[in-house]
Parts: sequence; C-alpha cells; structure tokens
Amino acid sequence: MSADERVTIRKLPTGVPGLDEILGGGLPEYSFNIIAGAPGGGKTTLAHQLMFANATPERPALFFTVLGEPAIKMLRYQQQFTFFDPTRLGTAVRFVNLSQVVLEKDLGAVLEEIVKEVEAAGPGVVVVDSFRTVVRKAAGGTSEADLQGFVQRLALHLTSWQATTFLIGEYTEGEVRDNPVFTVADGLFWLTQQVERNSIVRKLQVMKLRGQASVPGLHTFRITADGVQAFPRTFGLTGRKEKAPDRPRLSCGIAELDAMMGGGIPEGDSLLIAGPSGSGKSVFATQFIAEGLRRGEPGIVAIFEERPEEYAVRADSLGMEFAAHRRDGKLNLLYLRPLDLSVDETMHEIIDAVERTKAKRLVIDSLAGFELALAPGFREDFRESLYRMIGALTRTGVTIVSTVELIESFTELALSPYAISFLSDDIVRLRYVEIGSRLRKVLMVVKMRGGVHSKDIREYDITAAGIRVGGRLMGYHGLVTGVPEQVAPGVRDGDESPGAPAHNELG
Amino acid sequence: MAAATPAIHDLARRVIAFETARDPSDGPGGAAVRACETLRVPLAKLAGVAGFRSLMTRAVALATADVPWLAAVRVRADGSVEGFAEARTDPGAMSGGDAGGVVVVRLLGLLVTFIGEPLTLGLVRDAWPDAPAVETDRSTRGQP
Repeated sequence: MSADERVTIRKLPTGVPGLDEILGGGLPEYSFNIIAGAPGGGKTTLAHQLMFANATPERPALFFTVLGEPAIKMLRYQQQFTFFDPTRLGTAVRFVNLSQVVLEKDLGAVLEEIVKEVEAAGPGVVVVDSFRTVVRKAAGGTSEADLQGFVQRLALHLTSWQATTFLIGEYTEGEVRDNPVFTVADGLFWLTQQVERNSIVRKLQVMKLRGQASVPGLHTFRITADGVQAFPRTFGLTGRKEKAPDRPRLSCGIAELDAMMGGGIPEGDSLLIAGPSGSGKSVFATQFIAEGLRRGEPGIVAIFEERPEEYAVRADSLGMEFAAHRRDGKLNLLYLRPLDLSVDETMHEIIDAVERTKAKRLVIDSLAGFELALAPGFREDFRESLYRMIGALTRTGVTIVSTVELIESFTELALSPYAISFLSDDIVRLRYVEIGSRLRKVLMVVKMRGGVHSKDIREYDITAAGIRVGGRLMGYHGLVTGVPEQVAPGVRDGDESPGAPAHNELG
Repeated sequence: MAAATPAIHDLARRVIAFETARDPSDGPGGAAVRACETLRVPLAKLAGVAGFRSLMTRAVALATADVPWLAAVRVRADGSVEGFAEARTDPGAMSGGDAGGVVVVRLLGLLVTFIGEPLTLGLVRDAWPDAPAVETDRSTRGQP
C-alpha cells in the first residue's frame, strides 16, 4: 500500500499548550483513550480542556459522571479555569450522571445508557469520569472476560459513532499489566504528582498511543488558572533550522575582548563566562545585552536570584539604561519563580520570550541560580537538562551568554562545576591572581568553536563604566594557577621558550 | 450562607408565573411544585437523582425557616415533592403560592451558590425552552 492510499488519521487539538507536540501533532480522531493517575493529578481538568477545545453544538462533548466528583461540585471548580465557557454548557458541552445506573444495575445497563445518550447526541467527544468506579463496581460480580467484553463493546460503539473517547480513572502503575481496559485503549496518558523534598512536580507520560509517534519520556506540566500546560522535553523545537555556517559576529560591548575572541561572539553561539564571586560575570553579561540594545537588538536576561528591578538598577548604575529599555519593550528581564521549576518549564518561558520579542541576545544569569530554582529532583539531572536546554535555545538563533560561578582554586583552572564546557561554543574565564599581596583580575578566552582566538591572559578591571580590559599581565608565569611567579631574569615575557614570539597573536 | 438575591427572587417569580400561565388550575402553589418538578429532570441528569434530592431537601429545609408549615413537606427518593398541598393547615399562615415561591427561590439560590448564575440560568433556560427570555433582571443582579 502506498503512502497516498493509507487512511489519514485526523489529529484533534488538545487545547493544552505543549500537549499537541508531545502527542505528535494532536489527538487521533475517534481514538479510545485512558487518562490515568492518582487523585489530584489533574485528570478531570485535562479532560475538560480537551472537551472545550473540540466540542461544538453539532458535535457536542458528552461528559458522563460516575460516582466520582459530584457534577455540581465539578462545575463549581472547573468554571474557575479560563478555558471553561459557561455559554457552551447544555449545547456543545453536556453532562450526564450515570451514578444511579452504576449503583443499581449491571455493566450491560451502563453500556445501554451510554449508547442511548451517544446515539441521541452524536457527540464528537465522550468522557467517562471516573471509569475506574465502573470497573470496581463490575469487579464484584463480573468475570474478567465480561469486563473485557464490556470495554470492547464500549470502545467499538463509541468509535463506530465517531466519538473520540476518554476514560478517566485512578490507577496505579502496577495495574497496567494485563488490565483489559488498558489492552483495548488506543491511548494511555499517565499523570503523576511527585513530592521531591518540599516541592511538588507534576509529570505526564504518553505510555501508549496507536497510529502516531508521540514524544517519549516524562514531560512536566503545571496547572494554572488557564488549566493544564505541558512542557515537552523537545522544548517545542523539533525540526527547526540548525545554525548557518557563515554567521556574523556580535560585539560583547568590550572592544578588547571582541578582538580577543576573533571579532566578537559568532551569532547563535552559546558562550559561557566562568569565574569566582565578584569577578564581574554579571557585569560582562549586562554589557553584552547593553551593546545589543545600543544596536537596536532586543535582549532577554533570565535571572533567578535578583529581582528585575534590582538588576535594572545595578545595570543603570553602569550607565546601561536597562530601566528605559524595559519600558520600551526592547529588554525583557525574566524573573523565573524559584524553588519548584522544571528545566522544561523554564525553557518554555525563555523560548516563548525569545520568539515573542524576537530577541537576538539572551543572558542566563546564573546557571547556579537556575539550578537552585529547580525542584530538587531536577537538580540531579541538571547536566543532561542543560545539554537539552542549550541545544534547544541555540536552535532558535539567539546568542546566549551564561554565567557560572566557580569556587576559585589556586592550583588549577576549572571551567565549570557542571562539566558542561563541551556544551558551550565559547568560553571566557575570569579569575583572581595573587601578585604582591594583592588580588588582581585576569581574563582569558579559553575556547571559540567558531574560529581562532587570542591566547593572551589579560588583566582587567571593573570600573563605573563596566569591564575595562588592559594589556597582558607581563613578567609572570603560572597565572592560570592564581599564584604566579615572577619570570626569571633573562627570560623574555611571553617567551618562556627561547625563540617564541614576544606577543601572542590571534590563532 | 448567602441570602437569595433580588435577582433570584425575580427569576423564581418569572418561572412560577410561566408555570401558572401554562396550567392555572392548581394556582401558584401547584405551579411552584411543578417548577421544582420541571427542574428535576435536567438536574437529575446533571447531578444524579441522589444529587437532585439532596439539593431539594436542602431547599425545603431553608424555606422552612421562613415558612414553618413547609416542615410537613417531604421529598421523595426521586427528588419530587410530596404533601405540599396538605401541609398548610393554618389558614393564617403564608399562602401556598408564596410558600412555593420561597422553595423555588431557595432551590435556585442553592444552584447559584454552587455553580454560579450563568450556569444556573442555562439550566433554567434548558428546563423551560419555550419560556420568554428567562433572564435575571440586570438591575437587581448581585444586590443583597
């Protein structure tokens, strides 16, 4: 059979931001699905969102309530969500209570009642909440074969009547195996709520979805006043363009450092600026953004520790006019709520801001603050998350500067506590050196993936106008250890091996 | 517990007036009972028979505070009202029509409390699809 001859399975929108991508484009029309998880997991809210996204007066949604949350209470709470449109109740969205039938009759009567309502209404979407109670009731005096027969007849009938169905149930993961309900289902969506120390993290998994490729793995989601919002692990960037090979360079706002980097930061690169506390990482980052703003390039700074107002005031004190640029919309200071974030959620917010503001420059200040803002469970795989995050962000085309704090060692040159140096295209290292009982600051360009760069170790200072890069710190060797020694008499500076050039050059 | 607003009183009055016009034979008291009966069908479908019975029982209990003779009224297992016509034994007590109105006000008031006015209005419209413009009076909406 050729691809043209295959039946096209239409995909319905879920109405849940991020979920269509996780499902591989949407919900397969006429599929028979289960939304499972523990109480409080967001199953009913998700079902309502799906229902309101697809119901029309011609093809309404039928919501059967069965011994779960009483319908009156459900309406009371669900109407608090913005997606809940009360004007569509009774026409596009209809509720049918099956409690009495389930309590007083057998599975056959339940099926008969559902069939009767479905044939009368011709719904496009059918929800049974909670289907688990139907099964529990049946389990008392019904064989497994009878139960399987009931589920199969229900699936058959609802599919024949062209309804996309969702059975909601409180199940535990151990119940999946050999359960006839799960065997018949085309789609199985599992919602969990994990307690990680003092944080709660909600996760969604598509355990099964016939007919299309969903994104595997656990995806975090959040329930807000707008309902469920999912954060795909792909960060919404599947299939986007890769970096162009020939890219212009972006000035970092410090001419001497631009020269050291071979003409600036290649557009779309991820640059890591690493250094100890007080070495000027944030100053560098703000200069990078300020330079972009000066050139009319929108910028974003994702901050986790300081409040945006404080951050802007500090930049303003360096003459960078962040407050004014925030007002005119060119600068977006994203303060990401600490303590229970997931990397995926954070990335969603940043990518959303990049696309919304068409930002050319992005600063993440700092990776340590970012890590602390995450729920504890996400800190464990922070490195893997950073790998996905940097990859996703650079695919948007934005140029990224991330700051990372290092505990200064006076014997070695560390680049990052996360062993993520390989993720960064470019690395600039700031460090203190002790000379003559004084701490002096030096910087060096350690890596430029896009080309040649200076190998100089240059002294710098933080002034009222930002970072000022001076010349090479001459007369010492062992600067990278932080405790250099004076060059022995008779050895030329920068020429510790006889015959080498007196000054480092690009390359 | 919030008192029924003038808007709910007005809605109840319209519903009973519509029922009275449809069948004036048993007066406003009978019309109020029929109004509750008319609401029973969509509400039982939404909340279940037991759910509707709970609401109806509560509505009658609340109304009894204003009309003591309603204490003799019973709510059957299916949520329908029993013994309304016979319950009023004191000729000086509130009339059946007014007492029925209080029950309808309390029932609609409960619905507004739980699911809000827009959804309640939707239910009322569905229950009386041929009634002329069932709306609460905007001038009295939300007033205590």
